[in-house]
This record gives sequence, structure tokens and C-alpha cells, in this order.
Amino acid sequence: MFSKILIANRGEIAVRILRACRTLGVEAVVAYSEADRESLAVQQADEAICIGPADAKRSYLLAPAVISAAIVSGCDAIHPGYGFLSEDEGFAEVVRAHRLTFIGPPPQVLERFASKEATRRLLGAHGLATIPGSNGMLRDDLHGLEEAQRIGYPVLIKPSAGGGGKGMRMVRTPRELEAALKICRSEARAAFGDDSLYLEKWLDDNRHVEVQVAVDRFGHGVHLGERDCSVQRRHQKFLEEAPTPALGDAARKELAERALKAVVAAGYENVGTLEFLVDPVGNAYFIEINCRIQVEHPVTEMLTGIDLVVTQIRIAAGEPLGFSQADVSVRGHALEFRINAEDSRHDFRPSTGVVERYVAPGGPGVRVDSHLFTGYEVPSFYDSLLGKVIVWGPDRPTAIARSLVALDELVVDGVVTNIAIHQALLRNEIFLAGQMTTNFVDRVGSAAFLAAAAR
Amino acid sequence: MPNRDEVARLTDHAQIEGLADELLPALIAKLGATGLAELEVREGDWKVRLRRSADASTAGPRAPSGRGAKPAPGQAGHGDHAHSAAADVAHGPYRLAATSPAVGIYHPRPEISSGSRVRTGDRIGSVDVLGITQEVVAPVNGIVGAGLVESGDAVEYGQQLVWIELISTPVERTGRDA
Repeated sequence: MFSKILIANRGEIAVRILRACRTLGVEAVVAYSEADRESLAVQQADEAICIGPADAKRSYLLAPAVISAAIVSGCDAIHPGYGFLSEDEGFAEVVRAHRLTFIGPPPQVLERFASKEATRRLLGAHGLATIPGSNGMLRDDLHGLEEAQRIGYPVLIKPSAGGGGKGMRMVRTPRELEAALKICRSEARAAFGDDSLYLEKWLDDNRHVEVQVAVDRFGHGVHLGERDCSVQRRHQKFLEEAPTPALGDAARKELAERALKAVVAAGYENVGTLEFLVDPVGNAYFIEINCRIQVEHPVTEMLTGIDLVVTQIRIAAGEPLGFSQADVSVRGHALEFRINAEDSRHDFRPSTGVVERYVAPGGPGVRVDSHLFTGYEVPSFYDSLLGKVIVWGPDRPTAIARSLVALDELVVDGVVTNIAIHQALLRNEIFLAGQMTTNFVDRVGSAAFLAAAAR
Repeated sequence: MPNRDEVARLTDHAQIEGLADELLPALIAKLGATGLAELEVREGDWKVRLRRSADASTAGPRAPSGRGAKPAPGQAGHGDHAHSAAADVAHGPYRLAATSPAVGIYHPRPEISSGSRVRTGDRIGSVDVLGITQEVVAPVNGIVGAGLVESGDAVEYGQQLVWIELISTPVERTGRDA
């Protein structure tokens, strides 16, 4: 096991990783930017080290600063969390060159899965049905038009790097495609410093279902079931749940087993998530793999009782998984609500400010992963995630009933949040019937949700 | 689509840096010279407030972060190199610390020692970041004072490294004309 871990992230995930380190009895150092000097992770850490100014490009995204911080504070491993440097194979390689361990897949594995388009081909060769898409990256607009014609409209434009819905657009005509390519390219360049785009066939009324896997260095792997992340706004997830209401028990099991078999065969290592689009008749098409811990990992932890961050650290340290598929049981139902500092009544624009009062919910099956505290000033430099409320129940209706209570108890005064949209969703008939698709929030419109809930 | 938030953010950041580089040293000198307890300056959306600390030494030398400058609060536990070192040093009325440009290992320039006269921007040392040297520069015209860390010490971004005693003439006018 490692002797000391540098946590190179911020917000709720820095707090979450700190907890995992303490559970393992490993010392941790929190690396922070000047804007996060008073953050909860810094306050709770035994040791904290300032790596740069508020601008993430000069702190959380600056590889030399992060690695230097790990070296001067005597760490032997770096946990990148999600976002920032978490899937940067170049960073992982430099970390290794400095004789430190990157907590995630080893660099050569990250590299193998770095290109979304190549990964689709690789896992396709290992038995996963994949969504039809462009042949490689788009060279230019003309190439884009030709490929879209071949695949057939509608198509989804996707950036090769990053996630979170940036640089993504669904288009139905060549004319829309031409206009959107320019927008996506500039969004992707601004967000990820890489403007390469590719195309995917768009399935109307699709569901987003992802399979969580954990594979150790010795090729021993388990799946931890799936999560449904169909509730999205402009391709950004904001409510996740498991098990997915989209598939029956047998189909869920079959999908998870097929996913695990494919990634083990393709040489994956550490925790990871395989994302699928599921069409209305239950066909699952592989779209991409996330080689990191995900925002929505607590959903799986609630169902299985397995600490995914601890598992991730153990695998990176070279330990065997220590449990087999037979030891994994999925119990009950869990939902996760991303609490964002954004105004759902005004086109979800980000909000900042000082949290004047914060009260976390509690009760049976309720977990809150958050970095909030009364008096915390939400900085404007980073994403808007304030925390996650995760609610477990023995079945979906109970989990939903508990969620309504929990969201009602949650108080975040001083900053505008999206709590209202969650409350509205939990009263929506399509959601209650488990029939949500990735386009349903955008199609109905957030305003309509809020209005319906207010009635 | 131009990301307006991002542009605004970068502009804000550039403004803060401008404030830190140009305005702060001048304001600190002014605050020291006037004998006022507090000095506030507004520029556009930004506000800088300097407050003389209880022991009557100079105001906090950290650059402002976020909206409105707040004095930097105490650090969380930080291993061997504690920021509170500054408090142990005999304080003069007008001084500013040179701070670290990066996280790494600090080396003062051998030819610069206590008593050396320096000008704003003069290189007074370096921080080694994975073998790449980043310069530590004097934030203000003055005389090199007490060092706050030793050569070879690990330092973090923004950490105070060495005092620069200001050479300033008392300013008669006060307050908000900066």
C-alpha cells in the first residue's frame, strides 16, 4: 500500500478521497488552488499544499505543479479524482517517470483506451455491439458531411476529449451539422484544449446505461452492476439511479457480464465504467469507457456496500481485488441527485455566493457527499457541483419517497441551486414510471417541469 | 459559441494580477506612511482593502483572491514549512514578502543577502519545479530583509520567502486617490 497520497482535486471528490485514504490508514495531502484555500478538504486534511492560482490551467490542470507538490510533500501516489488530469495518459506517464503511482489505470492502459473511436473498435472486436459512427476523427467539415451521410441522420457530434456535454450537439440535417461543427469545435477547444470531433449515430428515445467494473492487475475482474443516467439536460447527467428501470433482471445481468468480459479481454485495469445507449427494445450499444472514478459512483456503493475509491486505490497499489463476482450482491434501489449551484428557473446559469446556511438531510438510506458548510463561499472558477444526495431504499418507490423527504430537508441558503428540478422530476409521471430517456428533460423543457410541480 | 463566463473569469484574473503586481506595493507603502488602520480602493468591479494587523506590522501581503481582498486566513496543517513563520520575525513598519511562484524547492541567489538593495522585478532566488527553474523576484524596490525559509526547503505556491523592507517616503495624501 502507498505511504502517502496526494489528492489532486477539489470539491466533494477531494473530501471523498480523503475519507478513503483515512479508511485505509494512508496519509493524504490535499493539493489546492488559491481559490480553495478555505475549502472543506483543506480544512480536514492533515496536510495541504497550495499548487497555484485559482485558474485551473495554472493549478489543478498543471501537471508539473501537481507532481512537484507530490514530491516535496513526500507522497508516493497521486489521486486525480474526476475531471482535471484524471484521464490524461500523458500526465499518468509523467507521474510514473517520477516514480510515483497514478491512481487509476496504468499509463499504457490509459493510452490503449484514450481514443473513444479506437476504444469502440477494440471493444467491438471483443464482443460488444457498438453504435455506428464516423471512421476516425473528422478531418474537416466536408469529411463530417460525408460521414454523416453514410451513418444516416440524426447524428451526434462528440469531442474526442473530455465529457460533461461540452462540444456535443445532436443534428438532424446537413445544414445543422455544418453550423454545429463550428460551435462544437470551439467549445471543445475551450474546454479540453483539443478540438477533434467525431460522429455517432443518434438514437431517438435512447436510455443511458453504464456498467461499473473493477479489474485488478492480475486480470481478475468483477462487475458491480449498472447505473441508469438517462436523466440529462443538454447531455449532462444530473440524476442517476440503479438498477436501471430500462432492463429486466436477466438483461441487466447479461449486459454487465458481457461488458466485464470484453474489458478484461481488452486488458483493462482498475475501476472503470462502460457507457451504453439502450434503444427502446433493449438493445445496448457501447459508446465509451470512463477510466476513472465517476461522480455517480456512490449509487453503486449504496447497492453493493463496496467502497469503490478504496478498491481503486488498492488496485493501483498492486493488490489483488480480494473478492469475486459471487461476493458482489446488488440490494435494493438507489438514486443520486447532483446538487448544482445553478438556477433552474433561469436556464441553469451558474450561481456563486456565500452559503449562509447549510443543513444536510439524514435518515435511513440517506448519504450526502458534499464539501459545503455554512459560511463557505462558492468560487466562480470551477464546475457548479455542490454535492450529491444519494438515497437508498429496498425498492424504487421507497427510495423515491425517502428522496422527497431528503430533498425537502436539504437547506442551501445564499446560493441558487437546482434542488427544485429534482423535486419536480420526482413528481413527473414519466420518471415515476421509469420511462425517462436522455432527451426527455430537454424535450419537455425544464420550465414545464417546474411549472407542473408548482401546481 | 464564445464562453462568456470563461472570458470574464480570465479578465478578472488578469485584473487581480494587475492589482497584485502594481497596486498592492504602492498601497502598502501608502498605508504604512499614513498611519491609517485601513485603506480601501475600488477599481471597476474590484475592491482591495488593506487592514493593518493587530501587531501594527504591514497589512497581509497576499494577493487578493476572489471578490474583494480578504486577509489570508491561517493555513491548514502544512508539514514542516509553516506560514506562521512570518509572525516570529521582528517586524518593520513597511515591508513586503517575496513569494514563491510555484510549488517546489527554494534556492536564494547566493549574491543576494540581507541588506542587498533590490528593485521591483529583480531576481532574488528561484524555485525548482521538477528541474525547471522559476524565478523569485522582488515585489517592490527595497532592501532584502530576513529570510523566512532556508535554501533547499520545500515551498508551496504563494508562500512568503523573504522580506523586502520598503524604501518609502511618507505620503501626505490619504485614501482613495490611487
